Amino acid sequence: MRPHRWLGALVVACCLLAGCGSSANIGPTGKQTRLLTVAVGVDPDTLDPMRQTTTTVTNIVQMVVESLGRVDQTGKVQPNLATAWQESADAMSWTFTLRTGVTFSDGAPFDAAAVKANLDREMDPNNVCPSCSTLAKAVKSVDVIDPGHVRLTMAMPLAADVLLGLISLANFGMMSPRAIQKGTPQYAQQEQPVGTGPYMLKDRLKGDHVTVARNPTYWGRRPVYDEQLFKTVPDTATREALVRSGQAQMVLLPPISDLPSLQKDPTVKVLLAASDRTIYFAMDTADKTQPLLQNVQVRQALNYAVNRDAIIKSTLFGAAESMTAPMAPSIFGYCQVPNPYKYDPDQARSLLQRANASGLTISLVAPTGRYMQDWQAAQNVANDLRAVGVNVVGPRTLDWPSYIGTVVVPPVKASVDAHLLGYAPQYLDASTAMQILDPSLIPPRGLATAYYDNPTVTGLIQKALVEPNRDARAQEYCDAEKQAWNDAPWIFLWVQKFPIVYSAQVTGIGSVPNESFYTVYAQPA
Amino acid sequence: MPEPLWRRLLRHRSATIGLTLLAVFALAAIVGPLVIRFDPVRQDLERILLPPSLAHPLGTDNYGRDELVVLVYGARLTLGLGVLAVLIGVGVGAPLGAVSGYLGGWVDMLVQRLAEILLAFPSIVLALALVAGLGPGLRNVIIAVGVSSIPGFIRVVRASALQLRELMYVEAARALGVSSGRILLRHVLPNAAAPLIVQATIQMGVAILVAAGLGFFGLGVQPPTPEWGELLGEAHTYIFRDANLATFPGLCILLAVLAFNLTGDGLRDALDPRLG
Amino acid sequence: MLTYVGRRLLAAIPTLWGVATAVFIMARLLPGDPARVIAGINASQDQVDHLRRQLGLDQPLPVQYLDFLGGLVRLDLGTSAHFGDPVLAEIGSRLPYTAELALAALAVAVVLGMLGGVVAAQRRNTVVDVVISTVSVLGISMPTYWLGLMLIVLFAIQFRLLPAAGADSPESVVLPAVTLGLLSVGLIARMTRSSLLEVLGQDYVRTARAKGVSPARVVVAHGLRNALVPILTAIGLQLGSLMGGAVVTESVFGWPGVGRLLLDSIFSRDYPMVQGLVLLFAVTYIAVNLLVDLLYVVVDPRVRYA
Repeated sequence: MRPHRWLGALVVACCLLAGCGSSANIGPTGKQTRLLTVAVGVDPDTLDPMRQTTTTVTNIVQMVVESLGRVDQTGKVQPNLATAWQESADAMSWTFTLRTGVTFSDGAPFDAAAVKANLDREMDPNNVCPSCSTLAKAVKSVDVIDPGHVRLTMAMPLAADVLLGLISLANFGMMSPRAIQKGTPQYAQQEQPVGTGPYMLKDRLKGDHVTVARNPTYWGRRPVYDEQLFKTVPDTATREALVRSGQAQMVLLPPISDLPSLQKDPTVKVLLAASDRTIYFAMDTADKTQPLLQNVQVRQALNYAVNRDAIIKSTLFGAAESMTAPMAPSIFGYCQVPNPYKYDPDQARSLLQRANASGLTISLVAPTGRYMQDWQAAQNVANDLRAVGVNVVGPRTLDWPSYIGTVVVPPVKASVDAHLLGYAPQYLDASTAMQILDPSLIPPRGLATAYYDNPTVTGLIQKALVEPNRDARAQEYCDAEKQAWNDAPWIFLWVQKFPIVYSAQVTGIGSVPNESFYTVYAQPA
Repeated sequence: MPEPLWRRLLRHRSATIGLTLLAVFALAAIVGPLVIRFDPVRQDLERILLPPSLAHPLGTDNYGRDELVVLVYGARLTLGLGVLAVLIGVGVGAPLGAVSGYLGGWVDMLVQRLAEILLAFPSIVLALALVAGLGPGLRNVIIAVGVSSIPGFIRVVRASALQLRELMYVEAARALGVSSGRILLRHVLPNAAAPLIVQATIQMGVAILVAAGLGFFGLGVQPPTPEWGELLGEAHTYIFRDANLATFPGLCILLAVLAFNLTGDGLRDALDPRLG
Repeated sequence: MLTYVGRRLLAAIPTLWGVATAVFIMARLLPGDPARVIAGINASQDQVDHLRRQLGLDQPLPVQYLDFLGGLVRLDLGTSAHFGDPVLAEIGSRLPYTAELALAALAVAVVLGMLGGVVAAQRRNTVVDVVISTVSVLGISMPTYWLGLMLIVLFAIQFRLLPAAGADSPESVVLPAVTLGLLSVGLIARMTRSSLLEVLGQDYVRTARAKGVSPARVVVAHGLRNALVPILTAIGLQLGSLMGGAVVTESVFGWPGVGRLLLDSIFSRDYPMVQGLVLLFAVTYIAVNLLVDLLYVVVDPRVRYA
C-alpha cells in the first residue's frame, strides 16, 4: 500500500484504540482518573461567588474560587489563602498574612491588592451579595499594608470566630482582579469565575451540568481527577437511578426511603455526613388568635407529644438525630441541655390540662420537597399531636415561594400557628445559629419567625457576639440555649444528616458539617 | 329502525371492556366506603411498607395504612374529581361554545380568542399556576383541572353549533321569530349532546391524569386524602424501596383512564352515523 | 393563498397580546416575593429591597406592563431574574433540546401509530384490531412520570442499555422520546385506522384491487396518501399535549429543555422567564397550526382557501 494509506490506517487504529479507552485516562494504578460525575438536585442559578445562596452550588464554586480561610471537615476555620491572622489589642483591626507564590488561573498574581479589590466589590452596597451584610456593616475599610499583608479596619468589634467564619464563606471568595474590573458588567455579576482553586471552570450547560477541570497552577496538593462534572437532576428517584446505572459515581440526597437498601448494597457506599441543619416547627409565640400558644406550658406539652424516634426511624430511615439543643452539635457554642423533651404523651396531656388547653386547635403548615421528608414528617407530627387530644388543622403545604411569603412575615401578618423550617447556619458558629431567636431579627428584618423575645437570652446573645474570651463565649451561648430550650418557642425536632451515596469504586469523598460535600481529593478506590 | 345505541356500543369490543372497568370502579367507589370503615388520618409507623400478606392483600403504605382499603377509598375521590372537573368544563365551555358558534360575528371571534389563549398554555402548566396561586388541595385541583378542560368543550360544541346554523329548520324557526335562546336550548345543545358526551368521557380520564401530574410536584391533592394521583406522587420517591407503593395506584389510574378512553372511543364510533 | 396566510397572522396578534397580558397577570398573582426567593432566605431585608429595585418590581404595575409590552414589540423579552442574563438567550440555548425531544417523540408516535393503524385497518374487527386499539390507548392512559420512571428502571438500571438522565450522549434522547411519544401513538393510530378504512372502501380503491394491484401498493399508494389529511390533523392536535408532556418528561429525565425551564421559573418566580416561555409556547402552537393548515393544501388538492 502507498505510504499515506499506511498512515491513514495507523491514524484510524490509534483512534480506535483511544476510543476504546476513551472513558479511561488510566492512572498509575490502572484505574480511571479522568472524570468524576456527581449528580445534584439543583441547577446553579449563578456561579458568581458573591451571589451564592445555595450550599450545593457554593460547593462547586469553591472548587474554583477560594477564600482567605477554609472550614475543614471538623468545622474549624483553617488557613487557606491567608496563612495567619492577628487581631489588634483593641479588637478594632485585623491583619491577615497572605500566602505567597499563589497565582490565579489566568496568571494574575494573588496579592493584597487583589484581596482589597475582591472585598471592596463584595461589600459594595450596590452589588447583590445576600450574605455580606454582617461583615459589610462591621468593617470600615480594607487596606493594603504591603503585597503580602492586608488590614481590615473595623467599625465595630466582632468575635474572632464570627469574623473568621465570615471570611471563609464563598461570598468573600477571591477572584482574579482582571475578571472583576470596576466599570465592566463583570463587576456586578461574573458568571465565569477565575480563582486560585484546585479546579477551573471548564464548561457549563445551564439546566444540565457544570464541568470543572484541574488547575495546573494550583498552589496546593494536586487533585486526582482531571475533571469533575456536576449533573443537574432535579428528580430524586432519577438521581439515584444515575448512581445505580453507573452513569454517575456520586449522588447527593437520594430518596431517603432507599437508605436501608443502599446501605446493604456492596456496590455503593452511603455517607451520612454530619450537617448543621436543624428541623423544627416554629410556633407563633405572639399568637393573638391562639393565645394558648403564648403559654410556655402548652408549648412544652406539644414538645412532649411528638415521638421523634419513631418518626426518625420510619419516615427518615435513620438519617437524622433528635435535637438536644436549639442548634446542631457541630456548631461552636453548642451544649447539650440537661432535659431533652422525651416522648411522653401522658405528660403532654397533663400539661395541656393544667394550662386549660385540652381542646387546643392549631393550624400547621409545612413545605414539600424542601427538607428531607418534610411533608411526610409533618403528617407524622400532626398525627402525634392529635393523639394527645390537640385539634390539628392541616398540615397544609405551599410551593416554596408562597411558603416563605406566608411564614416569613411580621407578627401582625401571621396566619398559621406553627410552620416547619430547617435552618442551616452558613458557618459553624453559634452567633448565626442563635440569630433566629433574636428579637431584632423578627421579620421583616430577619428569620426569627417564632417571634421569640426573652430579654435574658437576647442579652446573652449580644454579649457573646463581641466576647473576646472563647470559653466565656461558649458559656454565654450555653446559658442562652438552656433558657430558650425551656421556653420552647419551637417544637424541637431533629438534626438532619446529609446523605451522600457514592460508588464503591471511588474513595476520598469528604464532607463539611455545613451541608457541604468535598470531592476535591476523591480518587478511585 | 336503526339499532339502539347501547347495542351498537356493546358490539364495539374495546368499549365493552371500558364500560366493565368503569362499572367495577364505580361499584368500589360507592359501596366500598359503606362496607369498610377507614380513617385515612390514622397512621401506624410500626407497620409501614409491609409486603402483601393475608392480612393486607396489597401490603401497607408509607403511613402504615392497608393499601387495598386506601385504594378503594381513593376510587371515590379520583372518579369524583374527574366527574366534577368535567362538570366545570362543560358548564362553562358548552354554553360558550354554543353561543359562539350559533351567533357568530364578534361574539364568536372573542370566544375563539379566549379559547386560544387558554390553549396556548400547556395544561399541566396552567393547572400548576392555578394551584400555586390558589393553594393545593382537592377543591383547587378540581377547579384547576376543570378550567384547563374548558377550551376543548368550547370547540366541540361550537363545531356542532356551526353545523346546525345552516340547517333549514333552524332558519325557519328564526324566521318565525323564535328567540335565539330557545333555539340554543332546544336545538343546538341537544344536537351537540353526542360529541359532547364523547369529549366529556375522554376528558374525565385527562382530568385524572392532570391531577396525578400535579401530585408529582407535591402540589396536587394533599395527604392524607388518599386520591390515587396523590398516592402515586408520594410513592415515586419510594420506587426503589418498595415499587408496589407506586405500582398499585399507578395501575388503578391506568385502568380508570383506559376505561374512560375506551368507552369514549366506543361512544364516538357508535354515535357516528358514518361508521355504524 | 398569501392573503389567507396574512389573515391568519393578523388574527394571531390579538391572541398573542391576550396571552401576554394573561401571563403577566397570572405571574404576579402567584403568592410570594420574587426578590426574596432569589436573594435566599438568609438575606437581609436591605438586600431583598435592593434586589427588588434592580428587578424593577418596585415600579407600579401599569409601568411594568407597559415596559413589558414595549419590550415585546422590540422582541426584547427582558432579563431573567434568576439567571441574570437575557431571557431570549437563555431560551435560545435550551430550545434546541426540547425541539430535538419533540421531533424524536413525534417520530416515535408517527411510526408506531401509523404502523399500528395500518395493521388494525387491514385486520379490522379481529382480535388484533382490538388489541392494537387497546394497547395504543395505553400511552395516553398513564401518568407520564410513572411511565418514564419505569422505563428508567427497566432500561437504565436493569439492563443497562440506555442512560437514565441528561443529554450527554446521542442515545439519551431515546427513553424520553419514547415516554413522550407514547402519548400520541393512540390518536395517530386511531386516525390512521379510521381514515384508511374510509378510503379503502372507496370505489377507486376497489377498482385498483380488481385490476390486480397488490394489496400493499393499494394501501400505501392510494390509501395512505388520501388518508394523510386527517392524520395531519391528528399530528397538529398532538402538539398541545406534546408541549405539556415535555414539561413532565424533561423533569423526570433531567433533560435541559424549555419545559423544565418553565417549571423552574414558576417555582422561582422568575417573571420575565415565565412570560417569555409562555409566549414561546403560544407562538409555537399558533405557528404549527398554521403550518398544518397550509400542508393540507399541498397534500389534498381539493382543499382551497379563499
